[in-house]
Amino acid sequence: MEKQNQPDLENQDQPTRVLTDRLQQKLDYVTTLRQAITAGDDRLIYELIDGDHYHQALLNEEPDSTRNAQVDLITDVHPAISHYLSTKLIDYLAREYPFFYYEETHLGEFQIYFGNWWDRRRFGKLNVLKVAFEFDSDEFNKLQQTFALAATHKRFNTDQIQKISAASDQLQKLIDAQSDRDDQKDTLRKQLKENGQRNSLFDSGRIKEERQQIIDQLTKLADQDEQANNAHAAMKDNEAKILTLSKEDTILAYEKQAIENAFKSFENFNERNRSLYVDYLTTLIGKAQVADDEQ
Amino acid sequence: MSNNEQQTETDAATLSTHGKLTMFNEGLKNGLANGEKFTALMDQLIETTDGETLLGAAQQLANFKLDSAYVTFPHQYQNADYYLIFMSRLLAMHQNEKPVLNSQRHSESLFHVFEDLSDDYTFRFEVVSDANGGAYYHEQTTGENLFYIHLERRLLRFNSTAFTNLFINKLLLKGTGIDQINAVLTTLIAFGHYLRNDFGFNVDFNILDVDNAAKYELRAADLDRSIVDKLFVTAAEHDYMLRNSQHGNGAEIELRDGLIVDLFNNTPDGQARWVLTVHDPQQEVSWFDVLLHFDFMRDWYLDNIDALEIKADPLVFA
Repeated sequence: MEKQNQPDLENQDQPTRVLTDRLQQKLDYVTTLRQAITAGDDRLIYELIDGDHYHQALLNEEPDSTRNAQVDLITDVHPAISHYLSTKLIDYLAREYPFFYYEETHLGEFQIYFGNWWDRRRFGKLNVLKVAFEFDSDEFNKLQQTFALAATHKRFNTDQIQKISAASDQLQKLIDAQSDRDDQKDTLRKQLKENGQRNSLFDSGRIKEERQQIIDQLTKLADQDEQANNAHAAMKDNEAKILTLSKEDTILAYEKQAIENAFKSFENFNERNRSLYVDYLTTLIGKAQVADDEQ
Repeated sequence: MSNNEQQTETDAATLSTHGKLTMFNEGLKNGLANGEKFTALMDQLIETTDGETLLGAAQQLANFKLDSAYVTFPHQYQNADYYLIFMSRLLAMHQNEKPVLNSQRHSESLFHVFEDLSDDYTFRFEVVSDANGGAYYHEQTTGENLFYIHLERRLLRFNSTAFTNLFINKLLLKGTGIDQINAVLTTLIAFGHYLRNDFGFNVDFNILDVDNAAKYELRAADLDRSIVDKLFVTAAEHDYMLRNSQHGNGAEIELRDGLIVDLFNNTPDGQARWVLTVHDPQQEVSWFDVLLHFDFMRDWYLDNIDALEIKADPLVFA
């Protein structure tokens, strides 16, 4: 832009001067961000996109919302910035959290997968701009319970599996007892026949009552027969349920193992998650200093 | 009655005695010449040291009709026996004499036994009587057809079902040692290699294929995920991890350093087609070896055999 075309600054009124100053600040902000990206200065980018958080978390300063005066300028390019920042962040996370895998489902949006085993779980999202995991609460709670149950040598689904197994055992007993029931039915039918042949004028009440008892027993046996007939299908259902539960237990055991290998305990893991922003930014600062020293 | 037949009848009726004798003599000569030809082929089959000569003799003898209208031979081997002799001779040419060629005591009939297996298991060929021809190598007690061979078309097809039934269900699970089983397998596989290398046979080793590129096709083209889940759970119980497959839809398991079994949907055209592969640096391990050596893999395979069974050539193993 040519100088002579610029309006005379002297002639601007106060509000206009404020306006041009503010626009200049915006230009400076965006220019700095652009340069930081060109220079690969991820630390500076983090400072620019949320300066208030940066100063509080890393420099222990008081909150000051003016630090974030310009951040709304770039919200529309957040996905692209997130995509850009993910490269170094995921490199770092791969070392610190070797069991997490990421998939960029949309520009700058990252799904977390836990582990590389069969049917590993989707565990939540990685918020690159905030340097934070956003775990799926259901999945996280299961893992938490897995750690809690370990003290009692139980897995997440141990009780449920035991319950289903017991039900299957019961069904198997019903199937095994088929010939016993057949014998009982034979005996009862004979008794019923004898009962029918006994015609006593004086004892008819007792005979009737006896007859009803036999019929009740036969009905009960018939019910058990039917249960036994359906038992195979029910047991197959149970098998499928147990498989699903065992699979989940196996996955949770692998997750627990992975966390213990990397962090010793679930508590340490959670602590590291909480300090992830500071830890990561600190390494970026450290790298920047090393680079400066080398120059 | 057709004209032709009338003509022949008239000829026979009007033949002179001399003519009759000549006809008889010619018949004998032809029959004997046929016998001569047979013995020449037999000489080749049992004496030659040249591969192609051996194969040529076996091909002809496998279809040879020794008897004629005028000359019949009371002592004869069956066509199936010439396959067996061919197999033994080819192995012997390569210094491999594992199967012992035995003959029945009171008849001309041959069979194989392997000293590594009990004598309960005897092997013969069964000639296919339909137009396709060829023969199955057949274990007589179990009725399992281990492979199919066609000498003219030069093809050999191994059969996963028979190998699983005989060597795993009948032998391994009843206490036969892996070494003994391997000795027999090695011979049968070597036979396939000799056929391929010496004569250019087209050989499908099927479940025995050690090539890393071998893709074992599963009977269930569209494999139920719960079957993979079962492997995942049982593997974990045996301190192995079934991993998510690197190349998309499937799973893999490392059974020892560098030995990896892959189970995946090999689907270039969108249609499900699940296959197994076995990868090892030396390319010396087949899926069948995995079944022999890794109990939990074998149990998983046998428990889900309806879905997992490796498909053999459907043209010869229906």
